[in-house]
Amino acid sequence: MFTRGTLIYIGQRLVLIVLAVLGVSSLVFLGIHRLPGDALFSEHLHGDQYQQTLHHYGLDRPLWVQYVNFLAGMIHGDLGESLVNRGVPITPIVLREMSVSAEIGLVALIFTVGIGMTFGVVAAIRQNTWMDYVLSTTSVIGYSMPNFVIATFLILVFGIWLDNFTQGTFYFQIGWPGRYGSIGAIWLPAFALGFPYASIVARLTRASMLEVIRQDYIRTARAKGLREAVIMVRHGLRNALIPVITILGPLVIGIITGGVVIENIFGIPGLGKEFANSILNRDYNIVIGVFTGYAALVGLANLGVDLLYVVIDPRIRY
Amino acid sequence: MTPSTRADAAKRLPAPILQVKDLQTQFLTHDGIVKAVDGVTFDLYPGESLGIVGESGSGKSMTALSLLRLVPDPGKIVGGKVLFRDQDLMQISDEEIRDIRGRDIAMIFQDPQSSLNPVLQTGFQIAEAMLAHKKATKQQARQRTVELLKRVRIPAAESRVKDYPHQLSGGMRQRAMIAMGLANAPSILIADEPTTALDVTVQAQILELLADLNQELGTAIMMITHNMGVVAGLCTRVLVMYAGQIVEQGPVDQIFENPQHPYTWSLLKSIPRVDALRHERLRSIEGLAPDLLRPPKGCRFHPRCPFRVEKCLTDLPPLTEVKPDQLAACWVTMDRAKKEMGADQLLDIRPGAASGLEPGKIIP
Repeated sequence: MFTRGTLIYIGQRLVLIVLAVLGVSSLVFLGIHRLPGDALFSEHLHGDQYQQTLHHYGLDRPLWVQYVNFLAGMIHGDLGESLVNRGVPITPIVLREMSVSAEIGLVALIFTVGIGMTFGVVAAIRQNTWMDYVLSTTSVIGYSMPNFVIATFLILVFGIWLDNFTQGTFYFQIGWPGRYGSIGAIWLPAFALGFPYASIVARLTRASMLEVIRQDYIRTARAKGLREAVIMVRHGLRNALIPVITILGPLVIGIITGGVVIENIFGIPGLGKEFANSILNRDYNIVIGVFTGYAALVGLANLGVDLLYVVIDPRIRY
Repeated sequence: MTPSTRADAAKRLPAPILQVKDLQTQFLTHDGIVKAVDGVTFDLYPGESLGIVGESGSGKSMTALSLLRLVPDPGKIVGGKVLFRDQDLMQISDEEIRDIRGRDIAMIFQDPQSSLNPVLQTGFQIAEAMLAHKKATKQQARQRTVELLKRVRIPAAESRVKDYPHQLSGGMRQRAMIAMGLANAPSILIADEPTTALDVTVQAQILELLADLNQELGTAIMMITHNMGVVAGLCTRVLVMYAGQIVEQGPVDQIFENPQHPYTWSLLKSIPRVDALRHERLRSIEGLAPDLLRPPKGCRFHPRCPFRVEKCLTDLPPLTEVKPDQLAACWVTMDRAKKEMGADQLLDIRPGAASGLEPGKIIP
């Protein structure tokens, strides 16, 4: 499946991802320094003290000198330290937050693909029956609702109503208890994040499955005397997945960036939460770090999606 | 096959292996009912090779698909019987017909490019046919797949097993399809235009292969084609279909030599000849195949038939024996057309031209 060519391809893509990440962080570096105000704004420092602090962090030097220093740090994997929480190095923070965001994103992706494909396949096989209508309607509702509406609704139902209704016997933890969270804490935000996209996947799978089950090779499979379930899964679904994978690229990006809103609503210490805080604080280094983390996540996720093609469709070789 | 052995083969007819009686398949469309197969009756004998010819839309493919209940939506088999080993294939359960498909009656299709699944290994798709009927273990199926691929003369069969369909040539794909059809050593192989998508030299190879398999394995072949040449090369008996009905049937030699239905006669006349003069025009059949939503009254071929008489416009002729073993559905038949209307010298093939019943002269 993965030939030598594929490995070379992966290598090339990784180099491109590094370049893209550098490009993104450079743009963000320049952009954030053009914003009015600075990291020390909220501390109300005056006169010499202010100048000294600026000097300490090298913020009084010309922008291009700062940029060269920043690049040098980046290449060594050092994103500098926080300007607000002085002395705290950023790289470990961003890495930890990346893992949290990736964890939620991954579970959201499993929801998206799992729910989406199941709905799509069932709706296609039972085309124009009540089941098809119920699933298709659910899909329309799903993608008409923004993820923050779903998130708020889920918190209301599972965090408050369920708790009140059962006198506290059953409740779902909202928030993030430990470093890796818990299953209980992860599935609500992941669902809110993934469900709108699941609806898109469902519609696409349905359409693609409907097309596939009219193909000649499905007729061949029937003529061989295969069972209907085998025909649908082995011969139908695998072919129907090819267009679905195409949409998976933009969809993964949607899930990653959608995390910004969801993490803030659920209070999850991921990249998304840091993203909002750091911009408000003008904590330059963290802002750049967060963007760098996002760029890396998106790049890697896209590479993963492209490699999925090779697994699903033998006609595609890199 | 020499003409004499072929005639013998046509003559000694044991009990039929498949009996089709008054088969009717219809499509319910928004515009009305399309009678794609309209009362088809024929027998298939063990080990013979039967050709079904007709132009596009004549119902030959639908007849074949109906036999295995593979008619696509919105098609429905609305009547008739298909008797195979004392059971009516139209009446048995879905599970029972599933078990007959590919095991006792296999089917291969036109255009192997689209008939093979692009994302599965070719060898696996062949082995799957055996595994579906629990005919073999995985190990045995894999082994037999290689044997089958050798049997259908695919070079380097051992390594081709793992190839995906897009890695094979058109001819090899059709050979793989045939291997798949033969996987369970079926008693009947239905081939639906298996050579149409292939170029001429490959066509010849595939036909030769089918003829050999028919001889050696004794598999009855039902060959669906629009190509009279294919029938001449492979089959012992032939059915000619027009507008969802059989218009003529009989031994190939007899029908090629002396067709009795004007449609068969026209089809044979329209085969291009190498020995024809350069300036001679290619013969065709005037007009178009009828719209099956509104088939013409009387004989369905009458709007295109040069020999039609008054009766053809109103009454549907039944399939009757016109010569020993040869059946035709025609009020006139070519014997009479030749004697009374000079069919052999006929140049004008417009409808009604020979019988004097031209379109302008029809009183509605």
